[in-house]
This record gives sequence, structure tokens and C-alpha cells, in this order.
Amino acid sequence: MEILKQRPSRHPAERLTLLVLLLLSSVTLLTTLGVILSLLGDVIQFFRRVPLAEFLFAPEWTPLFAEPRYGIAPLLAGTFLVTAIALFVAVPLGLALAVYVSEYLSPDKRARVLGVLELFGGIPTVVFGYFALLSVTPLLQKVIPGLSLFNPLSAGLVMGFAILPYVSNVAADAMQSVPRSIREAAYALGARPYEVALKVVLPAALSGVIAAIILAASRAIGETMIVAIAAGQRPALTLDPRETIATMTSYIVQAATGDQPVGSTAYYALFAVGFTLFLLTLALNVLAQYIVERYRERYE
Amino acid sequence: MNRTPTPEAFGQDPWKARIDRVFARALVLPLLLALGLLALLLGDTLYRSVSVQVVRADMGPGHTYPFGLSAETILQKELLAQGYTEEEAAFMLQDPKERNALFLQNRVELMWNTHEGPFRYVVTNVYDERVADFSLAEGLRRWNELKANLQEGERLVLNPWLDQSFLTRPPSRSPLTAGIGVAIWGTVWVLSLALLFAIPVGIGTAILLEEYLREGRLSRILEVNLRNLAGVPSIVYGLLGLALFVRGMGLGPSVLAAALTLGLLGVPVIVVTAREALRAVPDSLRLAAFALGATQRQVVFRVVVPAALPGMVTGVILSAARLMGEAAPLLLVGAAAYVPFAPTGPLSQYTVVPVQIYLWISQNQPEFARVAAAGILVMLLLLSVLYLMALYLRNRFRREW
Amino acid sequence: MSLEQLREHQTVRTDPVPESQALVDVRQLSLWYGTKQALYDISVRFPKNQVTAIIGPSGCGKSTLLRSLNRMNDLVPGVRVKGEVLYEGVNIYDPRVDPVAVRRHIGMVFQKPNPFPKTIFENVAFGLRLMGVKGSELEDRVVEALKRAALWEEVKDRFKKESGLRLSGGQQQRLCIARAIAVEPPLLLMDEPTSALDPIATQAIEDLILELKERYTVVIVTHNMQQAARVSDRTLFMHLGVLVEEGPTEVIFTKPKHPYTEAYITGRFG
Repeated sequence: MEILKQRPSRHPAERLTLLVLLLLSSVTLLTTLGVILSLLGDVIQFFRRVPLAEFLFAPEWTPLFAEPRYGIAPLLAGTFLVTAIALFVAVPLGLALAVYVSEYLSPDKRARVLGVLELFGGIPTVVFGYFALLSVTPLLQKVIPGLSLFNPLSAGLVMGFAILPYVSNVAADAMQSVPRSIREAAYALGARPYEVALKVVLPAALSGVIAAIILAASRAIGETMIVAIAAGQRPALTLDPRETIATMTSYIVQAATGDQPVGSTAYYALFAVGFTLFLLTLALNVLAQYIVERYRERYE
Repeated sequence: MNRTPTPEAFGQDPWKARIDRVFARALVLPLLLALGLLALLLGDTLYRSVSVQVVRADMGPGHTYPFGLSAETILQKELLAQGYTEEEAAFMLQDPKERNALFLQNRVELMWNTHEGPFRYVVTNVYDERVADFSLAEGLRRWNELKANLQEGERLVLNPWLDQSFLTRPPSRSPLTAGIGVAIWGTVWVLSLALLFAIPVGIGTAILLEEYLREGRLSRILEVNLRNLAGVPSIVYGLLGLALFVRGMGLGPSVLAAALTLGLLGVPVIVVTAREALRAVPDSLRLAAFALGATQRQVVFRVVVPAALPGMVTGVILSAARLMGEAAPLLLVGAAAYVPFAPTGPLSQYTVVPVQIYLWISQNQPEFARVAAAGILVMLLLLSVLYLMALYLRNRFRREW
Repeated sequence: MSLEQLREHQTVRTDPVPESQALVDVRQLSLWYGTKQALYDISVRFPKNQVTAIIGPSGCGKSTLLRSLNRMNDLVPGVRVKGEVLYEGVNIYDPRVDPVAVRRHIGMVFQKPNPFPKTIFENVAFGLRLMGVKGSELEDRVVEALKRAALWEEVKDRFKKESGLRLSGGQQQRLCIARAIAVEPPLLLMDEPTSALDPIATQAIEDLILELKERYTVVIVTHNMQQAARVSDRTLFMHLGVLVEEGPTEVIFTKPKHPYTEAYITGRFG
């Protein structure tokens, strides 16, 4: 209740408390500032040495060569490839799960199933990466000729399951917020449960569902360990899911665990890639937020 | 008039009824698939963490040392000769159990005549060398065959990689002697410090937003900011940590830098769960406290927060569980180095469990995959403990307002 | 009268509806939500092309009875039904009958208008599409329904593009009525259709109901006695899950036979 939030009285203890709370909260604001500034500083250093055109358009990312090239395209391609495969798995499964959970399950079972799915989200991604490299890849290698040891296919498939809860739980949330009276109207017109789900609930919750997918994509793009372990760390501009590639995140890991002398262009390249990653995920998150706000139906 | 209902009486469409049934059944599939994958993951890891090995006790060429030195000194020199650094050697010799084990592995004998001169101590290294390593299924299947083929000095063992020594040993260059003990200590250090930092910030922000600020510019800015922070990939936090804490503040690859980085990562989650806990406290409690003449501060800290405490603690435990599994940001902040010692202070070097597992996975030797499996089991166990704690708390303190 | 006596009570009927005139024939219908019984042995007939009102104090089971007529109660977990509801001679609770099919024959309008978040056209077309109607026939029937629901004049220039949610409360309810009658159901059920509307919109809906009864049979639940008196031909009075009295509306409102009925009508309880 708003009325319960009083103006702070003059008493110093009250004012002090408020001050302390404000200070603590300011850390969150400072974090954002810190992220931007720390990245920006080194990014600027990078672009002093490497022209923007090269960064954006060159087809090779080879910082360690004698004649280094710094084109981000291969890293973007790798990220895109893995993300696309992951979404290919996560979206159909996640939506199906969301429909099942919100339309076919009773409320008590619903909470339990959603809880189990949350568990998926709690498993450290290292474990998924391990599974992808050591179990999924050998299995796929038997079926798909020419599959490299490190490949975006295994990583993408496993990552699809890792981001599954993001799609299913957020979409289920959106579907559950469709008011019951609308479902009743559909049932009263003689619709079957699957028709109610597909023709009434899903369209009504569409903005939330789309937002869920965008958020899941954002997560997939920012995911590090699964790709670092299973997809590879060798940048290559290709869309063939059987070849070893590097994503933005796997490159960052590789570069940071190798020893880049501070001040070298390769060191600053780290931050350039990181900044690109940050901007990309930020854009997606903002887009998802915008879609939810602009297109959400008000049922009153 | 009571007519018998025929299926056409109400114009049924059997097609759609059929579709409905198929649909309902089909929708269960993704759930089964997901659960199946989970089971597969666990089963696979468990399976890989046990192997059948043919092991040979081997004796390596011994170094010799002059007469007159004490056994300790000889052992120390021997360790140095084997490639350990001075600190590592000193560390290993401190622990009496470790020291005994080392003496067993490195027998010291005084010999009249050695290849380096008369009357010197000779150290003979006795260690187990793996000759072959088989998966559980294959090893058990071929047990008898392998047993029959054993050479002199070899033996056949069923080796669970996750055993007590694994839990306490430091990592090493050989998969047989690798352990996760150091990493566990690292995790404890880093996580505790991270929570020490994240809890006040997170809960403070939650209290500010829920109990003090009205709908206004500041609260909106904070909320939008928090939402964005929650969506930033964890590795970007690592970059922040690298630039700001490791290099900027000169903390180097230390526990403190890691704790600060991880703490920042955990703040958004703690804020969300703490806010939910605060919101769950009914307004009637606040009203009653105000009616008794309490100030805002007293209402919040003496009534609301205590009432919301179980929920907040649960939230903290859950975010601790998430943070425990984070590897990416810590890799950037310096956990990657080969660190054989547990941290002794906030500025020590360190490694954490998920990073250690990653390093093992990245090793070339195939046995390290087994070590990694053992490590994963330990990590999953720790996670389960945390989740069970959170579950217990939630059920124990669930109140009916 | 004690509770047991009430439950043993035989409904007082005036001019009971003969079988030949009944569209719906309820025979000894009892209903339980889990262990709690909500309807006690109800028998009544609803006459064709007339408006029947169900009145009674809150919690008397009027909505439950209404929803039993199109098996909407089936959607509540733990519901149990005994007895028969004959719709045009066929018991809709027979195990061989598919509840979904039943609902295609019966239209329902709810207390709070609940249009789909779709265009006006798509709202009305929904039921028709379920039946497989397409193309120009679809459009014609949508327009026809909007006309019969007295909404056409107000939306004819925007009904294809505008969302149903943009209409006023009264218009939304008429939209829901159009949606329900688009599939030409012989029976139309209305659950307190005007209780969420202002007096002017209420008046418009009541006038509409009087027109609708030429083509459809209407059963309306209302807690507003004046509305029942204005709009209906027959009235059912229920109390605590029991059908106390039923008969022509003038009789119920001017010469009620049962003391409870009279008490309710004169406002002494409920």
C-alpha cells in the first residue's frame, strides 16, 4: 500500500537508515555504470588500433597470427549457429510444455512440474557442456559423417535443453494470465481443449510467448560453458553445424585463459567482443520488454 | 419421450475428438524427453566416474643423496627433483598423513655402492602406473580375460574415481592423484565473501523498493536497471571483474576479486526473491505496527523483515546454489591458474569447483574425463544439499496468514 | 421449514409445462461438488420460444442449475451428477454423449462480458469457424448475428478491424450475445447478463432478450427480480439447492403459493 510508505521523519536514525539503503541500492546502478565504463575504456583502445570497418566486415578473426585480422563475423556466425540450433530445440518443446502445463494440468501438479523444470535451470552449464562433448558428440559422430569433435550441433542441441525452462516457464506464465472467463466462453461455444489452447489462449498470450522466446535467445547468446567445452574455440566463418567454430563467448574464455599481455591489441579485442555481446543481449532484452508492454492485452 | 442418443444426435465430430486425444498425449512428450535427458545426464556421469583398470606398481630410477642428510631433507629434495616447487613440497610435507604416503611411495635406503658414488642414500619411487583403463561395462565383461593376462606386478582394480582421497587431495598433473579438495575450499571462500557482499546490497535494495520508495522516477530507474542487469550474460560480469577488480583496483587474480565479481552477479536474483518475501507479508501487520506508534524504520526492521526472513533466507540459498555453479566469469577473473593450495586469505590465488571441472575436461588425457565426472558428482551433491535446505526452510516456515 | 424438510419438499408448480412444449426436460437432477451437494432432485421443464427466469438468494444454486444444462459443470474437477437432462428428448448426461457436442447446440452468455482479445468479426466468427463455416457464408452469418444482437449499426464500419475489447461494457455484452447466437443455438443460457452493466445498457439487453425469444429459447438467471418480472414468461424460484416453486411469471410475482417464495419476492430475505 502506497500510504504505508511514509516520508522519513526528522529523527536521525530514520534518515540514516534511508541513507544506508540508498547507498546499498546505488551499488546496482554503479554496476551498470561499471560494466559500461570498464568495457568502453578498453573498447576505445581497441578501436584506436583496429578500424571499425575491419571489425565489422572482415571475414577472419585471427588475433594471434603474425598479421592479425580482427573481423567479428566468424564469431557472430558461430554464436548465431549455436543459438539457432538451441532455439530449434527449445521453442517447440518449451511451447508444448507451456500449453500442457497451463491447459491440461491441475494447479497443484502445475507447481510441481514447473518446479522440476526450474531444476533444469539450476544445473551448472559445465555439466551440460561435459555431457555434450563426451556423450552427445560421440553418439552423433556415429550417425553424422564428418562431424568434428568440437561442433556447434552437439552444443546447440544440449543448450536447447538448458534454456528450455526459460521458454516454458515464461510462456506458461503468460498463458496463465489469460483470464478464466475467456476460456469459459470458448468452452461454452463448444470448443475442445486443444482448440481452446491453440485458438484462444495462445493468441491471447502471444506477446508474452514471443517475449519468452526472445529472452531465451538472449540467454543462449550469452551462454559460455557449453560452447567453450563442446563447440570449439577456433573461429571459422561457416554455417555448417558439423565444423568446429568459436562463438563470442567461447573466444572470450579462450583469450582470457591464454595469457594476453596487457596492452596488446589482442587483450583489447577481448573487450571489444565482450562489448558486442553486451550490446546484443541488451538489445534483445529491451525488445522483449517492449513487446510485453506495448502489446499486452488489458482485460478490464 | 426418451430417445436413445445416437452419436449424431448432437452432431459429434469424431475427427476432432481424436485430434484432441492425440494432442493431449503428444504434449506430455516434451516433459518426458526433458526428464529423460536429466536421467541420462546423471546416469552417464555416474557411469563414467567408475572404471576398471589394469595397474602396475612401478619402480622408477632413483636419485641418490649424500650421507648425513635427514630423511625429511632427502624427501624434500626428492620432491624438488620430481618437479614440485619449494612451496608445494613444503605444503605436502606439512601434513603427517601426506608425509607418510610420500615415504611409502619414495623408499629411502642407504646403499654401499651406488651409480653416483659410495655410501649414499638411494630413493626408489614406487608408484602405480596405469597400463590400461576400461569403461565399467567393458571391464566387467572382460574381467576374467584381463585377469588372466596380467603381467608380473600388475593388478586389476575396480576404481571409483570419487572416493575420500578425491575429496581432500589437491589437483595434480596426473589424473590418478587429482583431487577436488582445494577447489572446494576455494568455492567456500569465494562464495562466502560473495554473499557477504551481495546480501546487504540485495536485501537493502529490496527493502528500499518495497518499503520506502513510492512509484516514482527513482524506483522506476532502479527497477529497469535491475531487470537489465539480470539479463546480462555472466561472462560480461567476468569482463567487468577483470577490468575493474583484477586490474583496475590491482587485486590481481585473488579470492577477493572473484568474490566481488560473483557478488555483483548474484545481487539481481537476491533482490527479486527478497522482494517477493517482503510482498508476501500482509499489510495488516504494518498497519498494526504503525497504529502502535512505530516509525517506518521500526515497522520495517522489527516487524516486516522478521516476518519475511524465511523467504529471504530461502532466496539467498537458492542464489548461492546458482552462483556455486558459475564458471565463466571466474575463469576471466583468474581462477584458471593451476592452483594446488587452498586459499589462506582474501588475496590468495584460488580455484572453484566448476572451473576445476572445466580445466579437467580441457585436459588432453582421457582419464581426466573420469576425474571430471567425479567432480561433477561432488558438485551436484553440494547443489542438492543446498536445494534441500531451501526446500526444508520453505516448508517449515510456510505460514498461513 | 427445516433443512431436511426443504430437501424433501415437492416443487410447487402452477401450469406445469407439458412435455410436448418442452425444449429441455430436467428429471430429478442432483449435483455434488465433491462431497457438498449443490442441487437436490430438481425436476422442471423449460418451454420452447419462451423466456424462463431462475431467481433466488445468493448460493441457491441458480448458476449451477444453468450450467448443468450445457454441461459446463463438467469443467469443475470433482463434480458428480445424478438424474437426467433431456434436450429434445436426448439425455445429455448419457455416457455416450460427448459434452463438447452438446455445447455446440446451446449458447451461453456470462455475467461479466468476456469477448476474446480479437477483432469483433473474429469474436462472432469463432463458433462458426469451429463448425467449419467459411468464406461468404461466414461473413453473412456474422453480420446477421450482429444485427440480431442489435450491435450492427454501431460497429458496421469497423467490425473487421477493431478489437472487441475496445467496445463499452454494454456493447461487449451484446458482442458476446452475437457470438453465442451466431451458431443458431435453439437454447440460449444467460447467467446474470446485466449485473455488470449500467442501467441504460441493461435496458438495451432486456429489450434484446424480448426480441430473441422469437427465434430462441432463453433461460436467464438473475438476482434482479424486477428484471425477471419484465423479461420472462415463466419463473423458477430456488433456495439452498432446491426448486421451491415454478410457474408463469405473473403468478409467481403476484400470487406466489409457497411462503418462501412470497418472502423472497417481498424482500424479506435474500
